[in-house]
Amino acid sequence: MSARLNCSSARCVGRAIKTQTASPLSRAAPAAVTLSQTSISSTRHYAVASQALPTALGKLQLPQDYVSPTKPPTARRPETRKSQMIRAYTALLRSTPLMLLFQHNNLTAVEWAAVRRELRRALREVPAPIAGPDGSAPVDITESIHFQVLRTRMFDVAFKVVEFFDAEEAAKLSNGYTHDLSQTAYEAIQAADTTNPNTAYAQISPLLEGPVAALTFPTVSPAHLAAALKLAAQSGLQKLLLVGGRVEGKAFDYQGVRWVGGIEGGLDGLRSQLVYMLQSAGLGITTALEGHSKGLWLALESRRSQLDEEQNPKKEEGEAPSS
Amino acid sequence: MITRFITEVNTKFNPFSTAARSTRLFLSSLPANARNQGMKIDTKLLPRTSADPAMLQVKFKDGKEMNLDGAKLGIKGIIEEVDRHSRFLQKQADLNDG
Repeated sequence: MSARLNCSSARCVGRAIKTQTASPLSRAAPAAVTLSQTSISSTRHYAVASQALPTALGKLQLPQDYVSPTKPPTARRPETRKSQMIRAYTALLRSTPLMLLFQHNNLTAVEWAAVRRELRRALREVPAPIAGPDGSAPVDITESIHFQVLRTRMFDVAFKVVEFFDAEEAAKLSNGYTHDLSQTAYEAIQAADTTNPNTAYAQISPLLEGPVAALTFPTVSPAHLAAALKLAAQSGLQKLLLVGGRVEGKAFDYQGVRWVGGIEGGLDGLRSQLVYMLQSAGLGITTALEGHSKGLWLALESRRSQLDEEQNPKKEEGEAPSS
Repeated sequence: MITRFITEVNTKFNPFSTAARSTRLFLSSLPANARNQGMKIDTKLLPRTSADPAMLQVKFKDGKEMNLDGAKLGIKGIIEEVDRHSRFLQKQADLNDG
């Protein structure tokens, strides 16, 4: 793809004028000079403050491989709705650890409004957390839980970008752009093995067929999830089918999602359960180990007392005649 | 698709299987007011590990039952089969009315 892109010419022109006024002597300099960059070895050209010679404005030219810093090259035209949709969905996928996928079968606008209203009401009744993770101030996520209809084809592409495009790896390439619409991202998802059943993409992509809506949570909050699931299980919402979910990058079916909703206290609750389990296991081990040694000690002790008893009467018998 | 003569739709599918696609699409092609007009729609989701094939059972007003295999027919095939009988019923209804 050629790197011929428009740049904001106003800035370049302004800079040219400034240098011209600063050094009036150099008006005698040759007129037709291109606004060339100093770094020739680098393949990427940004608009840095260059020591360009003052030029006549009419002959102002940019190098052929000039790349605007605010508008890097893309694999698809960035102005289109679809491109921006991919960017929005990649951002959504990266920032959402808990996402429920629903199939919505011909809901009317009134029904959508009702679903969203009831969802708001159900989520507002969830008690706010007492403390945030690591003892920080609690954050109420209720307002950040959204229920949105997905464009499945664009979501599919965005999912591939998130799963198969490693931006850090691409940054090591000489001329690799690392944004989601870049050529490297496009090539990465073209080359990826999307049928490998071990990838989260291959597991979730069958769900992304037909009309799909997503309920997105900014954190894994089982209390909020349970409230939403309780709403979804109501008989009035037969048109919404919970087909699956994506929790911490893994695919879950409706039973798995319900299980996540049943975890008390969220991730911290699980951690405390684990700590309790380990502690009680340690207690069990110590008592078990102690038990054996205690038994052995008891056996030896009883044997000793038995031997003592056997010896003592002899002594008594032996001592008795002497006294 | 003619949905006037359908009285009952029973489906059972595993959404994680690609074979369930056409069954899911059939559900989405039923009109928004289908339940209000007396159509019974029952959907059962299978767990992710289940390998059972998708089931789609359609019952009509004249009592005919259709068991359609979504994996073999595809969404177009399903609609064709359903419409074939619906057109027949439509023809009869028109004759009786007229």
